[in-house]
Amino acid sequence: MNYPDGIIVALTILGLVGIGIYAIIVSRNLIKIVVGMQIMVKGVLLAFVLAGRVSGNIGLGQSLALTVIVVDTIVAVVALALTVQVHKRFGSLDPQALTTLRR
Amino acid sequence: MDASMAVIGFLTLPFIGAPLAYLGDRILLRRGSNPRLGQWITLIILLVCLLGLIVFWTQNPAGDSLWIWVGSIVLHWDGLSFLLAFTVILLATLVALFSGPYIRDEKAQDKYFSLLLLMVGAIIGLGSANDLFNLWIWFELMAVSTYLLVAFYPQEQGSLEAGVKYLVQSAVGSVLILLAIAITYAYAGTLQLDGIRARFVELNPALIGSGVLFIIGFGVKAALVPMHTWLPDAHAQAPSGISAMLSGIVIEAGLVAMLRAIFALGTEATWWGVLLMGFGAINMFLGNLLALRQQQIKRLLAFSSVAQVGYMLAGIGVGLAYHQPIAIAGGMFHLFTHALMKGLAFLAVGALLYALVISQHQHTPLTLDDVRGAARRYPLVSLTLAIALLGLGGLPPMAGFMSKWQILVGGFMSQSGASIALMVFAGLNSVLSLGYYAPIVNRLYQQSPSEVVEKGGHIPGLMVLPLIILGLGILLLGLVPSLMNPINEWAASSLMGLGIR
Amino acid sequence: MPNWLLLLPIGVPWLGCIGVWMVGDRRPKFQHSLAVFFSVLSAGAGLMLIPYSTQRLTLMLPLGGVFDDFRLATDGLGVFLAVVATVIGSLAVIFSVDYMHGEHSLGRYYAFVLFFIGSMVGLVLTTSLLWMFVFWELTALCSYALIAFHNDDPKAVRGGIKALIMTQFGGLGLLFGALLLYTYTGSYEINSFLSNPGVLPASVLNWMAFGFLIAAAAKSAQFPFQTWLPDAMEAPTPISALIHAATMVNAGVYLLARFYPAFEAVPGWKLAVMIVGMLSALLAALMALVAFDLKRVLAYSTVSQLGFMVYAVGAGGVFASQFHLMSHSVFKALLFLGAGAVIHALGTRDMREMGGLGKRMPFTRTVFILGALALAGLPIFNGFWSKELILEIGLGHGNPSWIAALMILSAGLTAAYTLRMVILVFYGQARRDHHVHDAGNAMKTALFPLAVGSLSTWLLLGPFYQALKTSLPFHKFEFDETWLHMAESVHSTIGMTLEVGLEVLRQPFTYIVLLVVILGGVSWLGRKRLSVLIATFKGVEQAAQSAFGFDAINDAIVKSVQKTGEALRVTQTGYLAWNVLAVLLGWLVVLILTLLGRIG
Repeated sequence: MNYPDGIIVALTILGLVGIGIYAIIVSRNLIKIVVGMQIMVKGVLLAFVLAGRVSGNIGLGQSLALTVIVVDTIVAVVALALTVQVHKRFGSLDPQALTTLRR
Repeated sequence: MDASMAVIGFLTLPFIGAPLAYLGDRILLRRGSNPRLGQWITLIILLVCLLGLIVFWTQNPAGDSLWIWVGSIVLHWDGLSFLLAFTVILLATLVALFSGPYIRDEKAQDKYFSLLLLMVGAIIGLGSANDLFNLWIWFELMAVSTYLLVAFYPQEQGSLEAGVKYLVQSAVGSVLILLAIAITYAYAGTLQLDGIRARFVELNPALIGSGVLFIIGFGVKAALVPMHTWLPDAHAQAPSGISAMLSGIVIEAGLVAMLRAIFALGTEATWWGVLLMGFGAINMFLGNLLALRQQQIKRLLAFSSVAQVGYMLAGIGVGLAYHQPIAIAGGMFHLFTHALMKGLAFLAVGALLYALVISQHQHTPLTLDDVRGAARRYPLVSLTLAIALLGLGGLPPMAGFMSKWQILVGGFMSQSGASIALMVFAGLNSVLSLGYYAPIVNRLYQQSPSEVVEKGGHIPGLMVLPLIILGLGILLLGLVPSLMNPINEWAASSLMGLGIR
Repeated sequence: MPNWLLLLPIGVPWLGCIGVWMVGDRRPKFQHSLAVFFSVLSAGAGLMLIPYSTQRLTLMLPLGGVFDDFRLATDGLGVFLAVVATVIGSLAVIFSVDYMHGEHSLGRYYAFVLFFIGSMVGLVLTTSLLWMFVFWELTALCSYALIAFHNDDPKAVRGGIKALIMTQFGGLGLLFGALLLYTYTGSYEINSFLSNPGVLPASVLNWMAFGFLIAAAAKSAQFPFQTWLPDAMEAPTPISALIHAATMVNAGVYLLARFYPAFEAVPGWKLAVMIVGMLSALLAALMALVAFDLKRVLAYSTVSQLGFMVYAVGAGGVFASQFHLMSHSVFKALLFLGAGAVIHALGTRDMREMGGLGKRMPFTRTVFILGALALAGLPIFNGFWSKELILEIGLGHGNPSWIAALMILSAGLTAAYTLRMVILVFYGQARRDHHVHDAGNAMKTALFPLAVGSLSTWLLLGPFYQALKTSLPFHKFEFDETWLHMAESVHSTIGMTLEVGLEVLRQPFTYIVLLVVILGGVSWLGRKRLSVLIATFKGVEQAAQSAFGFDAINDAIVKSVQKTGEALRVTQTGYLAWNVLAVLLGWLVVLILTLLGRIG
C-alpha cells in the first residue's frame, strides 16, 4: 500500500459516491436520480482501478471497471424506460408524486 | 453424462431459452395468434433442467463439491449451489405452469417468460459463483430481470411506482456491494472466495468495513430491516407468479450471495453471526407487527416474508456465531420450505385474483374482505391457501413447523444464553404471526360470500395444478422432514467449510 | 405383528378424516354414517389396546437425525387416555348425527373431529417428546378449527383464535422443555429421561419443570390461562364435550402426571402445581356460580375440576388425579351432551330463558341429574370416589393444609353451582313458552352409556391401579405407601376396589367432605335467607362476573399489540428519499456497532 496519491483517489471516490447518494435522496426529478446513480457508479469504477493499482494488477482493475460500465448501462436504460412510463402515467417526474403506495 | 456436464447443462439452458421464448412469442403476436410458445419453451427447458439436477444428484451422491472450468472461468458447485438451483427450478416450473392465463392479454406478456428464464439462469449462476465479481454479475443480472417483471403493468400507477423504488434502492445496494468488492480486492489481491478466506488470519478495519458493506448491500435485496421498504410495494404489485418468485427465491438468493461474500471474510464469522442474529430478531418482530394490520392480502404476505427471512437469519446467525451446523441446516431448510409455502400462498392468492379481478380486466388489490366465503366457490384453492398460511404460522403437519424446529434445535444446542433467548423470541413471534394468518383462513371458510366472490369467474385447471403439487409437497415434508436432510446438511457444511458431526 | 395394532387408533380415525372430506358435502347422510363408522372402529381399536396396558408394546419408525424417530409404546396411562379419547369420541360423533343434522360443511366438521381423535391418541401413546409436541400442536389446530366452525359468527372466530394463541403460547413451555432435553442429552426419549432426571443440570431441570407447568396450565385452561375455555364454548356442543371436557384439556394434566417423577424433586414445583390447581378450582367454581350461559357454567366447572386434578398431582396423588380424570371425562361429557340436547331443542344457551324443562324432556333430565350428582360428588357416583381420594391425598404427605381447606370449600361450591344449574334448567316455572322435543335417538344412544358410566366407572379402580403400577416403573403411587397400606394385602383387582371403597367409607374425613357438599347445596336452596351473608360477598360476586380481571388483562395485551402494529405503519412512508435514507442509516448504525464491537 505504498501509493501516497491513493489518499486523494480514495477521497474522490467517497466524494463521488456521496454526491450520488445526496442527489438520489434530494432530487425532485427522476432523471436527476438516474444521473445520481450514474455518479455513484463512476465513483465505484474509480475504486476498482485504485484497487487494481494497489494490489499490483491494474489490468484486472480496469477490466472489472469496464464490465461494471456495461452492466450499469443496462440498468440505466431500464431506469430511463421506467422514467418515460412514469411521465406518461403520472404526468410528472417528481419522485414525491410516487407515493400512492404507503403504510 | 457426468456431474460436471449436468451442471453446465442447466446453467446454460435458461440463457438459450430466454431469447427463444421472447422471439417465439413476438412472432406469434405479430401473426395475430396466441403467444403460447414462450410458456411451452419455458416449461420444456425447466423440466430438462430438473432432469439435469436429478442426473447430478445420482452422479454425485457423496456430496462432494465440484470445480468446473468453463474457459478461464472457474465455477464451484457445492451444497448451497444445489439447494438454490433445486429451489429455483422447482418453483419456476410451477410458476410457469401457473402463469399462462394470468398474463394473457397484458401488453408485456411476450417478455414475461423470457425474463423468467433469465432470472432462473441468473440465480443458478449465482449459486455457482466462486469469485466476488462473478457473484455480483449474476446478482445484478437477476436484479435487472426482475425490474421489468415488477413494473409489469405499465398502465397501473402502483406497478410503476413499485418498480421505480425497487430499482433505485436495489441500485444503491449494488453500489455498496461494489465498493466492498473493491476494498476486499485491494487488500486480498484476489477475488476468489476461498483465496480470500485463506489469506487472512485476522481482518484489518478496512476489511471489516467491507464486510459491513456486503451485509448492508446484499441486505437490501435480502430484505433486512431497515432496507426492506421496497419489498411490500414490489411484491404486492408484481404479477402473482412473480411475487411467488420474488418472495420465494429472489430474497433468498440475495441472502445466499451475502453468505458467500461473508464466507470469504470468514475469520470474523462470529461477529457476522452476531449481526445476523440481531437482524433476525428485528426482522421477525417488525415483520410480524407490520403484517398484523394490513388489509391487502399480497401486502400482508410481503411483510410476512420479511418476518420469515428473520427466522432464516436467526438460524444462520446462531450457526455462524456458535459453530452450530444444525442451526445453519435449519436455516437452509427454512429457506426451502418458505419458498414452497410462500410460493403456494402467492399462487393461491393469484388464482383468486385471477378469478375475481383480472378476468374482469381490473388490477385492484385483493383485500381481506374480498376473500370472504371463497371456500364455497373455490374449495381447492382455499384449502391450499389455508395449508400455506397455517404452515407459515408454524403449525404441524406442515413443513414450516419442521424447519422452524430445526432452527430452534440448533439455537438451543449452542447452550448460550443469547442464542436461547433469541430462539424463545422466535417462538413467541411464531405465536404472534398466527394472529394474522389464522383470520385469513377463517374468512375463507365463511358461509356467506363477499360480492367479489359471487361475481368471480372460473379458475383454469392448469392454475390449480401447481397449487395441489405444492400443497402435497408441504404436507409430505411436514411429515417426513428428513427427506431434505442430505441437501440441507450438504448446504450447511458447504457454508461452514466443514463437515457436519 | 401386534406392533401394528398401535398404529390403528391413530390411523383409522385419520383415514376416516380423509374419507369423510372426500365424500363431499353433497351427500350428508353418507358423511354422517361414514363418520360414525370410523369413530366406532377407532373406539374398537382403542379398546383392543387394553390388554397391552400392562405389557409394553412398542413401534418405531426411523426418521432420523434432529427429527426424532416416530415412537409409540403402550402403558397404563397412555392406553387409558387413548380409550377415553376414542370411546368418548365415538359417542360425540354419534351425538353429532342428530345435533348437526342439516348443518353445512359437515365434511370439514367430521374431518377435523376424526383428525383430532387420532392426534389425541398419538399424543398419549408416543414416547418421544418431539412427537408429543407435534400431536399437541395438531390437537390445538383441530380445536381452533372446530371452535371457529361457524366462521360467520365473529364470536366463534374470536374464541377460536383466542384458544389457538393462548394454547400456542403455553405450548412454548413444552417446546422449550423438549429442546432442553435434546440439547443436554441428545435424545427426545421420555422414559430414559424419567429413569434418570439427574442427567440434566439442576437449573435446566428447573426451567423444564416450570416450562411444562406453563404448557399444562395453558392447555388445561388453568390459572392464569383460564379465559380461553369459556370463550371456546362457541363450538358446537359435541365438540365442547369431546375436546373441551373429556380429552384435549386433559392433555395438560396428562403432561404433569407423566413427568411427575422427573419434576417432583424440583424445589417449589409441587407447591406451584398445587397452588395453580387450587386457584383454578376455587375461582372457576365462583365464576360458575354467577354465570347464566349454560355452557359457560359447564366450562367453568371443567376448569374447576381440572384444578382438582392438577392439585392432586402436586400433592403427590398421581393415581387420584387420573382416577378423577376418568370420572370427569364420563360425567362431564354426559353433562355437555345433555346440555347439547337442551340447547338444540331450545335454540338458546341462556339459563334465564329455560326452566321447567324436566316435564317435557324427561330422558334428558334424568341423565343430566345423574351427571350432576356425579359432579357434585355424592356417594356411589364415580365422582364421589375420585374426589374423596384427591381430598384425602391433600391432607397427608406434609401438604399445606390451608390449600386442602380451600379445596374442600371448592367442593362445596361445586355442589352449589351444580344444584343451581339443574334447578334453573329443569325445574320451576317455564320462563318461556317453548315447543320442545326430547333428545333424538342418536343423542339418546350417546347419552345412555355415559349415564351408566357415571354410576359404574369407579368399579375399575382396582384394575386401573394395577395397570398403572405395573406399567409405569418410575412413578410412585399413593396406595403403595400411604394411608391405605394396601400393597401387600391385595389379592385380586376387584377385591382391591372393594377394599379401597370400604376404606374410604370408613374414614371420618369422608363425612366431613360430604357435609360440606350438602351444605353447599342447601345454602343455594336457602339463599334468600342467607341474603345478608351474600351481600357481604357482593364484591366477590362482581369480580367473579368479570372473570377476576383476567379478561381485561387479555384485552389489554391484544389491544397494545395491535396499537403497536398500527403505529409502526408510518415506517412505510412511500417516499423514495426516506427509503434510501433508511438504507444509509442502516449502514451507519451497523458500522458504528461493528467499530465498537470489534475494533476498539
